[in-house]
Amino acid sequence: MLKRFVRAATATCLAASLAATAPAIAQTTLEFPTWQAEEPGVSTWWKDLVAAYEKKHPDVKINLQQVPFAQFVKQMTVRFAAGNPPDIVHLPSRDFASFADQGWLEPLDARLARTDIPANWPALQSEMHWNGKTQGVLLMGYGGMLYYNEQKLKDAKLGVPKTPDEWLAAMKATTDAGKGQFGLATITAEHPNMVVEMASFVIGEGADWLKAGKYNFTDPAVVQAVDQWRQATGYAPKGTNSATARQLFIDGKVTFLRDGPWVWGALAKAPADVRPNLRIGALPFPVTPGGASNSLHLAAKTDAKKKEAAWNFIVMAASPEWQSRYALTGSPAPRKGALTAADLAAHPHLKVINDEAAKAHNLFPEVQAVRAEYNDFATLVTRAAMRMISTQDPTPAVLSDLQAELARQLPLK
Amino acid sequence: MQPSLHDAERRLAWLLLAPALLAVALLIAWPLYVIVQMSMRPGKALAISELMARPLGTANFDRVLHQQALWDAFGHSAVYTAGSLVPAFVAGLLFALLFHRAFPARRWLRSLLLLPWAVPGVVVSITFLWMLDASYGVVNAVLRDLGILSTDIAWFVDARTAMAAVLVPTVWKSFPFFAITILAALQSIPETLYEAARVDGASAWQRFRHVTWPGIRGPALLAALLNALWTFREFDIIYASTRGGPAGATETLGILVYREAFESFRFGTAAAIGVLMLGTAAIFVALSMRVLRREFT
Repeated sequence: MLKRFVRAATATCLAASLAATAPAIAQTTLEFPTWQAEEPGVSTWWKDLVAAYEKKHPDVKINLQQVPFAQFVKQMTVRFAAGNPPDIVHLPSRDFASFADQGWLEPLDARLARTDIPANWPALQSEMHWNGKTQGVLLMGYGGMLYYNEQKLKDAKLGVPKTPDEWLAAMKATTDAGKGQFGLATITAEHPNMVVEMASFVIGEGADWLKAGKYNFTDPAVVQAVDQWRQATGYAPKGTNSATARQLFIDGKVTFLRDGPWVWGALAKAPADVRPNLRIGALPFPVTPGGASNSLHLAAKTDAKKKEAAWNFIVMAASPEWQSRYALTGSPAPRKGALTAADLAAHPHLKVINDEAAKAHNLFPEVQAVRAEYNDFATLVTRAAMRMISTQDPTPAVLSDLQAELARQLPLK
Repeated sequence: MQPSLHDAERRLAWLLLAPALLAVALLIAWPLYVIVQMSMRPGKALAISELMARPLGTANFDRVLHQQALWDAFGHSAVYTAGSLVPAFVAGLLFALLFHRAFPARRWLRSLLLLPWAVPGVVVSITFLWMLDASYGVVNAVLRDLGILSTDIAWFVDARTAMAAVLVPTVWKSFPFFAITILAALQSIPETLYEAARVDGASAWQRFRHVTWPGIRGPALLAALLNALWTFREFDIIYASTRGGPAGATETLGILVYREAFESFRFGTAAAIGVLMLGTAAIFVALSMRVLRREFT
């Protein structure tokens, strides 16, 4: 009897200790902060991808965290600087260089060589090179899109604009500020994406504010394009950030919205009487402004086990199945052939999104010194943009001051 | 030789003071030392350890003192401090005088008076952002209905009105502090002084000038000094409403420090501006202490 009791007690203790220690040994948690965890459309893809990964790797848990875009780069910078980087690093590609320049990202060439990513990714993947090493996997290259409210254009007896002048005329014709109706929703408050709004006009008109490795803000073509942008902000509500601008369009309060293709997914939240009027098309510029949107990376300073698990996650995100699902959310996926002819036939908006992505010109600076200090560059450009929105100062004077300030604070060698 | 009673008392006094001194050293002196040291480490560095390894120098002070943004920020801080202190003080004084009178529900209303002071600055900013919104805000709508405005004003986005716009929530949040402090002082003034003044035929203004003001002057000036210091380093209301914009129109020293540290990652220059702020505040306090000493001695 005593023997049986001792045996049972020993077995129970052993089982209990195994049960207590087994999950602690096996479980690895990957920190994954992103600004897209709650973004309509693409957030579903991330959540499904995380769930599929956790199912395939039951010993790994991914902690997907939402961080607002306006705070994202600052938060990541502080985390890296403090030696506490996330395990799965998701970055706006425009900021990639400033992280790579600090030596914070893991070179991926050896890992990439064991995948089909190099053979199937577009030329824009070269944006992920820094100091001769590939340090990221491009997740999206895009062209800027024009969203418009067809009913408002019909009411004003106007067609979809094909040139910048037609676009400005349509904004003017559909603005009635007294009734809370505006021609355009765009960023008119201090926000990291204000540079993108202004650059879209500059690149779209075929100009460039960085030419031959020098600042080119005083070029008459740049001044003219910036003046167009400034005129456009006159038809937009003031004090608006990117989230509010999108909401105003979705609520049917504005005629136009310039944004990325990822906004398509959010249109599903429009009121039932507004949704049928919301359309997507190409921007009415001679050149399509766009570029590398966001990318996935590994932090250089994380332990090898977590690094391996995070890399497996990136490989899964880049797989044909998940690239196809990504493309169906409306975001152009980089993998060749992510969408089939049947997909494009079934979802006509995907054709225009992918056509624009294919011909987009990079609107982000390509000069190495500016890429490495993008945050400072964007801060100074945003300040000049706000000066143009909030004062009557002439555009050439503001741009001339901006160029002088950039030359002083961010000199180009 | 036995230690004297005096020595024993001194030892006990130091022993009792020791925890407080230790706390002051750890929580005030050490961080101040680190900030002053950091202000002398030049250049941009994202890793603090890398920055602190650099040689000491005055390059950061040279840089910030030759930067127009610093002088603009000094100017904005002065306007912001004075622009909120004066109306908040006047509003607090008026409310204190009102609530010193007896009327129904006075106790409840006194509690309500404290509410703005208790609301976090960010929440105050968001509320006023909506109220003063250029296109959909209630303030523009009311002003248009009253015929005061013909077009909407982008209060927080127009460089000419942005400072006034950030002052409104600041005043709203800070006036209860004055009201409560002055109200407490008012209650300590003996009623007999007012009775005597009335018997002598003093008018309401004369009673305020010769009885009320001398009774509340000390606490009111102390409250003004404290509020000025808090406002001088104010961050949350401005950052949450304008982020120092548009085009730097509301960029105070506190915002400039944040931008240098967490947008440009120049912790050294941010610390240098912090040291200059500290010096300015210290001079202000030293000048104010003369007046306060007269009141309280």
